[in-house]
Amino acid sequence: MKNGRNSESKYKLLNGLKIDRRSFLKLTAFIPGLFGGGRANGQLDVTKAHSFQENIRDSLKENWVATSCLNCSGRCAIRVRVVNGKAVRITGNPLSKISEGRVCPKAHIGLQVLYDPERIYSPLKRTNKDKGIGIDPKWISISWEEALDEIINRLISMRERGRTHQLLLFSGLNSISSEDLIRRFADAFGTPNLITENGLENETEKLGHWMADGHYEELVYDLDHTHYILAFGADLLESSRPLSRYLRKWGRLRREKSNRSKVVIVHPYYSITSAKSDEWIPISPGTDAALAMGIAHVIISEQLFDKEFISHWTTGFETYKKFVLSQSSPQWASKITGIPQETIYRIAREFSQTRPAIAIMGKEAIAWPEGSYASYAIFCLNALVGGIDRLGGILYQEVPTYKEMPRLVEDEVAKKGRNQPPIDFRRTPRFPAARVITNQIPESLLRDVPYPIQMAIGFNSNLLFSAPHKEQWDRALKKLPYYVHLSPFVSEMALYADLVLPTTTYLEEWGYDHSSSGSGSPELRIKQPAVRPRGQARSVTDILFEISKRVKGTVQHSFALLGGNSREFVKLRTSTLIPWKDLLSMGVWVGKGYQYKKYHSLFKTPSRRFEFYSGNLKNLFLEIGIERKEDFEFLPHYKEIRFLGERKQYPLILLPYQPLMMMGNGSQNYPWAQETFLPMQGMGWDTLVEINSETAKALNLKEGQSVWVESPFKKIRTRIKFSEGVHPEVVAIPMGQGHDAYGKWQKGIGVNPNEILGVDYDWISGQSAFYNTRVKVYPV
Amino acid sequence: MPRWGMVIDLDKCTGCQSCTIACKVENNIPHGSPQEQRLRREIYWNKVIAVTSGRFPSVKTELIPMPCMHCEEAPCVTVCPAKATYRREDGIIMQDFRRCIGCKYCMVACPYGARSFNYREQEAKEYHRPDPPPERRVWGPWPFPTRTHGVVEKCTFCFHRIDQGLKEGKRIGQEVVPACVEECPSRARIFGDLDDPHSEISRLLSSRGWFRLREEMNTKCKVYYLHR
Amino acid sequence: MSSPFTSIKGRSKGFRILTAILIGLTLAGFVSFIVSYTWGHYVFGTSNSVPWGMPIVITIYLIGLSAGSLILSSLTYVFKREEYRPISRVALFLAIVLIFGAMVGIALDLGRPEKSWRLFMFFVLNNMRSMFAINGILYGGYFLIGIVYFGAILAEKYKFIKRMGIVAVLWAALVHMGTGAIFGFIDARPIYFSPIKPFEFLAAAMVSGLALLIIVVVALFKFTKIELNKSLIFPLSRLLLVLVMILSMIVLIDKLTHLYSLDRASLLWLLTGHYAWVFWGLQVGLAYFLPILLLSHPRSKNTLRGVVIASFSVGIGIFGERFGLVIPGVAYPMPFYPGKIEGIWGAEASFPLTPIETLLSLGIFSLMGLFFLLGLKYLELIPIENQEGQRTESG
Repeated sequence: MKNGRNSESKYKLLNGLKIDRRSFLKLTAFIPGLFGGGRANGQLDVTKAHSFQENIRDSLKENWVATSCLNCSGRCAIRVRVVNGKAVRITGNPLSKISEGRVCPKAHIGLQVLYDPERIYSPLKRTNKDKGIGIDPKWISISWEEALDEIINRLISMRERGRTHQLLLFSGLNSISSEDLIRRFADAFGTPNLITENGLENETEKLGHWMADGHYEELVYDLDHTHYILAFGADLLESSRPLSRYLRKWGRLRREKSNRSKVVIVHPYYSITSAKSDEWIPISPGTDAALAMGIAHVIISEQLFDKEFISHWTTGFETYKKFVLSQSSPQWASKITGIPQETIYRIAREFSQTRPAIAIMGKEAIAWPEGSYASYAIFCLNALVGGIDRLGGILYQEVPTYKEMPRLVEDEVAKKGRNQPPIDFRRTPRFPAARVITNQIPESLLRDVPYPIQMAIGFNSNLLFSAPHKEQWDRALKKLPYYVHLSPFVSEMALYADLVLPTTTYLEEWGYDHSSSGSGSPELRIKQPAVRPRGQARSVTDILFEISKRVKGTVQHSFALLGGNSREFVKLRTSTLIPWKDLLSMGVWVGKGYQYKKYHSLFKTPSRRFEFYSGNLKNLFLEIGIERKEDFEFLPHYKEIRFLGERKQYPLILLPYQPLMMMGNGSQNYPWAQETFLPMQGMGWDTLVEINSETAKALNLKEGQSVWVESPFKKIRTRIKFSEGVHPEVVAIPMGQGHDAYGKWQKGIGVNPNEILGVDYDWISGQSAFYNTRVKVYPV
Repeated sequence: MPRWGMVIDLDKCTGCQSCTIACKVENNIPHGSPQEQRLRREIYWNKVIAVTSGRFPSVKTELIPMPCMHCEEAPCVTVCPAKATYRREDGIIMQDFRRCIGCKYCMVACPYGARSFNYREQEAKEYHRPDPPPERRVWGPWPFPTRTHGVVEKCTFCFHRIDQGLKEGKRIGQEVVPACVEECPSRARIFGDLDDPHSEISRLLSSRGWFRLREEMNTKCKVYYLHR
Repeated sequence: MSSPFTSIKGRSKGFRILTAILIGLTLAGFVSFIVSYTWGHYVFGTSNSVPWGMPIVITIYLIGLSAGSLILSSLTYVFKREEYRPISRVALFLAIVLIFGAMVGIALDLGRPEKSWRLFMFFVLNNMRSMFAINGILYGGYFLIGIVYFGAILAEKYKFIKRMGIVAVLWAALVHMGTGAIFGFIDARPIYFSPIKPFEFLAAAMVSGLALLIIVVVALFKFTKIELNKSLIFPLSRLLLVLVMILSMIVLIDKLTHLYSLDRASLLWLLTGHYAWVFWGLQVGLAYFLPILLLSHPRSKNTLRGVVIASFSVGIGIFGERFGLVIPGVAYPMPFYPGKIEGIWGAEASFPLTPIETLLSLGIFSLMGLFFLLGLKYLELIPIENQEGQRTESG
């Protein structure tokens, strides 16, 4: 203790506190405030403070930038407030017809995505040859020149040896402009192996749609006008796209119309959407097709269908009707789904008598083996009530007609390369209608079928995290001879890279975007930098331009007349739609209003009608050479699900669901997303497994206990929560946690249920099955 | 004198938590961490709670956003010794960080758990944003962009927006609203003058069934909820 | 008349060691305060669910001890019980030191201690409806009254002493009833809310103050090697028994009322949840049951050892009573909406004991101990042997 006069008087002056320099300075900042002049009456004079604020405010440079979000594939229009070069706030763009000026919470978290302190800002090169999770790559920073040189040399050598097809491109969540250029690069370079993440998303939805009317597209719903929503396995308020639209329209559907729309959710798990809907119908997992068929039975047998639409604009109805009436009684459906018969009758009658009504399918209903038929069955319900291209029914989203890119310049090498079969076996008898089978890649890489891959480039993909069966991805990525990963941070997949290039986040780059599901009218949204790119980050489009320039030859020529850089590319492509200055200031271009009932031109089927008996599928099978004799193979029907794992050994079914706060860019290193991660469970920063309380008691488990959730493939460890909102045979685990690559706010937190899923597909569309893995749960 | 209140329509609310996050952005609320959440030290000016009842399959979970209720008879105002929390004429319960001595009596007295204490300096947080305006050196009750540790904070109905809006002659409740109201995607939150019979909020309260939380506490709080 | 009191010489080895230990602990407490002041209260065990922690528990405990001590010292000066004169000065000085310690405790627990002067801006910057503000008047006044009173006693101004004594006793009672009102007037917390809280606190103050006094007196006489007149202690112990019985009756009524009330969930949790050991073990067991047993059982009630054990038991038990009020009272989740509130908002909070908080608490205790020892050395508090009418057996 210091003695002596001086310190004592200092001691006395400041209330007996001994302080270090830092807090002393802090205290002095408060000294004027300690005496609080003018505040004695309890009313604080705000205006005095405000003038000071204004002085500060006037000295700041502030502007609003219209751009679009990319935290999921919704790509909603946003406006960013930038002050002195720093983005401080994100809000919606009222000019967008899709979101009408609102955004989902993830858009605000974009600020943390942009200013993530653990982003990478220079190219990284791997020095530790060993690859794998938990293995330190021992990155060294290199310059862009060096990095590009490495890549270019390899690419050029592949061209020279005519092995261009051995380049594998992974495309994760990128803007449409980036996707267009990636595709162009793949075509110009000469590889058919462009693998997007679509194979993990909703390919079965597209297929069901296509089987009925030839549109291999996501389903779009007229949420503005519908009066009844029957959703199968859909988390409308959490994982639908574009989420901002669903959130906004929920408000409208409930209380901004003259009548309140009823929402019924059919799902094995009581999600937020189920909690907010009018009715939650727990269904045995994987049996949504049976329910759809049962409902169709009621609608048809009670003559509640839209006779006018059915008779004029559909074919195959008689075959369908015969099949439904003979095979799919509500009694049959009730036995399979576990839903009481009365409920099926009631829902069917409500659905068909509350017009317009829509039947929505979500991933949980259709990402199963034979999910295409479930998708088809659910989609046909919409046709039964005449909701195709009508007010309050199914819409057909129009896409902006960008200015066409100049013709691709190809040489022999490119032509030959592109004619090689893609390594995901799309459009083969294994996956006849598939456009991409994302989860097939590990097997193809490991077995070198149909040929080995020499080099891979990943654009913002984190497939190791979002695809099922992490273990096979781990082995496959280890085997890749050379892998370049492009993303703003070192994700799980980037850990296997030989080279990581730092890309910009969506708030720092140029691009154009449109969403595949919206309000029907085409809508273009610009991406323009709200802030300057941080560090040495470059956007994907700019990197591609640079690569094409250096690869030279026809690749360079294919990119030649596209503007030369990302900004000019965007300007070029949007020039036919809207003047550049207007696009920059408004951020959004909306096409003309949606036209309904375009029946004469709408259906892309052999009969030019909506088909209950899929002529498209029949023709495809003939083309590919698949033998199918029975009629029902081309009708919507229910096929018994095959599960991965034996019921006796693995009594429960794993349901990995996607919570709203799961960011779509492959990282969860954002505290705002983490602390609000699971609102239904009132907690964040963790994963837990929800199990029906009766089932849990039968298994002698205790609330909050640490358990292993084990599938036939792997096991993960987490904590139990007893729940009343889970089907007795199901355990539900949220996705989004379980990162182990980087990130103070995500590493080592929670577990990723995708890791223990097995590999299975809806074979027709190539969609990965996520929900048919059986597990067992036991205490640690 | 207007009497500001808020209505949260639980039928339109989607439980998305945009309000929580928008409030964090607007008021530069420091984020938490796993340890802080476990120890219940995270700061939420607006929280969304989930209340479950019933048994499978008749389970019901209600998701209820809870900002500060700005009670007419606020227990926190009664117990604050330093007049750091007080009721403004327009009904907003203010929180003056300059005066707050951090005794936490208000936290004990609040029946809604609306108040949070700053357990640490926030400059250490990486996502900390010392953004304008105003700076800490601006004396006034405006939410300091960086609060010092040791003071209690809570939702302020974004009074800074309201005051600035009033100065600019804008209509509060239509053109100027708190951040949570502005960012709610389903427009489930409505803000306005409870004493104005023509305001949207008065219209809603007269046409829908409403309730307030913990009505038995008689705090006469000014955040109303509309039934589903 | 020469003063019948003296001070200790304070040169013995024991004294020096004790002083050194206390100085060490005080410094440790001071350092922990500096740590909590610069880093923030995250070094404590408090949270948004349990905003009041150990320093508050200790503060109200000390206020109770102080008020009880002062009321007991007034037995001599106001109630004219001459047999307690030898210990009266010690009791009064103890009261002053304890209230000072309590005020230090409050100041150090504040989020912003440098603004603690705001607690004393009565009617100017203070909201006088707040029980904290009213208690500011009470504690500040109490401290001043105590000092004036003590000064008068040292200067032996007897008439003034009597009048002052009456004021002091009444004020002391108000002080701890005021502390009780801080808790009792908060209806957001069912365990706190009760009109009987001020009386419960007053009874607890008397009980704990008396127990402390007994312990201090016995220790003092032991260490200064003065023969203790047993007739001093046993009336006090009988008084202690009566007071403990009154206190336990008051607490019983309070808890029963809350059990009958339909808002009984948090009380049931206190009685059966993970803080039940504090209530049943410390409060009921050590503060009520064991002392009543010891002080009424013929084999122990007349032995010094029995009385001292009973006093220790009371001391610890009353500390447990304070803890069992403050922390479980806020740890139980509030029922915002009927049903089960999920996650962190509906979970019962816990209060971990942290090193900084513990050191700070120990530091407050040792600071008071230090002041007490200094008072013993430099002020005349110890009764001299061979007082008139107080003949001891042997020297």
